[in-house]
Amino acid sequence: MDYYDALAKKVRRNLLITMTVVTLASCGLAYLLLVATELPPFIILIVAGALAMLMNAIFSATTTRWLLQPLQAIWQAVVHISPTNHGEPAPNIDQLKLGQEMVGSLVNQIYQLASEAAKHTTAAPVLSSEYGFIPSNLPLPLFVLDESETIQFANLAAAEYIGQKTDALIGKNVYMVLDMAFPNKDTLDAWLKESKTTVATASHSWERVRLNVLDNHPTRLFDLAAYYNKDNPNKQSTMLVLFDHTKQYSQDEQAVSFIALSVHELRTPLTMLRGYIEAFQEELEGKLDPQMTDFMQKMAANAQQLTAFVNNILNVARIDDDQMELHLNEEQWPTILESTIEGLKLRAKVRGVQLQTTIAPDLPTVAVDRLSIQEVITNLVDNAVKYSAGAELVEINVHMNQEGQVETTFTDHGQGISAGIMPNLFTKFYRDHRNRAQIGGTGLGLYLCKTIVEAHGGHIWVKSKEKEGSTFGFTLLPYASLAAELKNGDNTDIVRGAHGWIKNHSMYRR
Amino acid sequence: MEPGQSITPAGARPARRVLCIEDEHFIAELYERALSKAGYQTTLEVDGARGLELALSDAFDIILLDLMVPNVTGIEILRRLRTEKPDLKAKIIITTNLEQRDDVRADIEKQADGYVVKAELTPRELVGILDGIA
Repeated sequence: MDYYDALAKKVRRNLLITMTVVTLASCGLAYLLLVATELPPFIILIVAGALAMLMNAIFSATTTRWLLQPLQAIWQAVVHISPTNHGEPAPNIDQLKLGQEMVGSLVNQIYQLASEAAKHTTAAPVLSSEYGFIPSNLPLPLFVLDESETIQFANLAAAEYIGQKTDALIGKNVYMVLDMAFPNKDTLDAWLKESKTTVATASHSWERVRLNVLDNHPTRLFDLAAYYNKDNPNKQSTMLVLFDHTKQYSQDEQAVSFIALSVHELRTPLTMLRGYIEAFQEELEGKLDPQMTDFMQKMAANAQQLTAFVNNILNVARIDDDQMELHLNEEQWPTILESTIEGLKLRAKVRGVQLQTTIAPDLPTVAVDRLSIQEVITNLVDNAVKYSAGAELVEINVHMNQEGQVETTFTDHGQGISAGIMPNLFTKFYRDHRNRAQIGGTGLGLYLCKTIVEAHGGHIWVKSKEKEGSTFGFTLLPYASLAAELKNGDNTDIVRGAHGWIKNHSMYRR
Repeated sequence: MEPGQSITPAGARPARRVLCIEDEHFIAELYERALSKAGYQTTLEVDGARGLELALSDAFDIILLDLMVPNVTGIEILRRLRTEKPDLKAKIIITTNLEQRDDVRADIEKQADGYVVKAELTPRELVGILDGIA
């Protein structure tokens, strides 16, 4: 009120001065005319009155402009923050000649109130008439995002699902709230980025999305549906609806655990079998005739092969349930290849096949998951040995291909594959029906190879000619070409799912 | 690995001591045989709790640790050895046939000095790996 009192005082003083001046001027003029002229008093009164009226008119105009300055500034401020403002500038308080302090204070308060009001409009959209009863009470978690993927609305089910209050979600980036991992590279982030540049509206859905809510909160598994609308006038461009399947998908995971347990039960006797065969081989070395020695080697080789087959079952189960993660590290490819081949020589030998490896010099290091890529080598060598059909040599060759990738080929000189079945070779459970009777196998091996190689960013291929043999090959990326990705990641290695990237939305690359 | 490669020449160095915590009797028997042949001094233990006690004594160069052992699991033994005996001089090699989830396995590998799937190796091949451990 100090500002107001000061203003009132100033106005009162100025008005008093003005009125006094007008009165004195009129009286002074009348007195002069009375003394100096012989005009009748009636005329003198008219002249003095006219002067008073003229001066009043002049002073009224200037005083009005002067007195209304504060009101004009406040009016400008209100119009300036009005939603219907069409270019009205903010008032210039510094140029005010009257009530500068009071108007400055009032205008500040007006702007503060406007800012508070704006906050409330954003912070409590749940109460807004834009979001009605239905979305608020929809029994499915619903999130509404703006163009920058900031949450504009989250219903009660959404807040409950992730264990937070609705207010705590509004205004946050969706990836900060929903820490999602997708089964493959088709992620929400990727889809939204593409949709924003290519379409006006789009919808999409995902299965088996994982959600880590809080540190001590159990992982949730759900299906996700999204709708995107580029030109929504309310800036609510994206809607996300979550369908929880934690129970069902967890049961699937337990099924994998069942396979893991079964594999354990198979591996334990295999470990013993292999151990005892080895003990026999050592103890009886030199005491057996060549045929018995050959039988012993065949036992050892088949026990080893059974172990590899058990691994195939396990790995295919994990791939099918998106539970295989690859950790790509920098490795010397010749070292991995040669040590794996070394372990496979016995299996080849008992089938009368020799493995011959040729490795080009000066190969770059590769980005591989050692365990998984060993499965690929094992399966391709086993495959080549199996289909050698009497031919004695399987050639393994490593070289750089024209695309600058490290290519490894496995060539047998066996019966070959007819062109008709080539496209199906890498399909799960597929086997050439002509061989089914003679040659064992499940048709899992090549499917596994393809999946693992592609998860490494490489590709697998086959060339074959009937009666002449087949060549299977796969490529691996040099480590240097993935080094940039390493720099962007949080981890020291690159983590990929068997079907591609797992954690690839932008929040993982912060 | 060639046959006999793992055998330490007699007197070349003191016999290295191995603690094998393994509840599968036949596997333990096979490991003991292969280790002894290669000149290692082997202590077998089928129980997790006693295995942990022995391991804490730090009287071994290498600990072969199965994950599925009774009373105290292998993972718990590993964790407690690392927290209670941070300067343990023995190298810990996890030996298991149980497939772990990748994240669990990565976590175990971080704490251990080695991780092998038993079915993947014959006892002699395992000894070959131990020979390579300094």
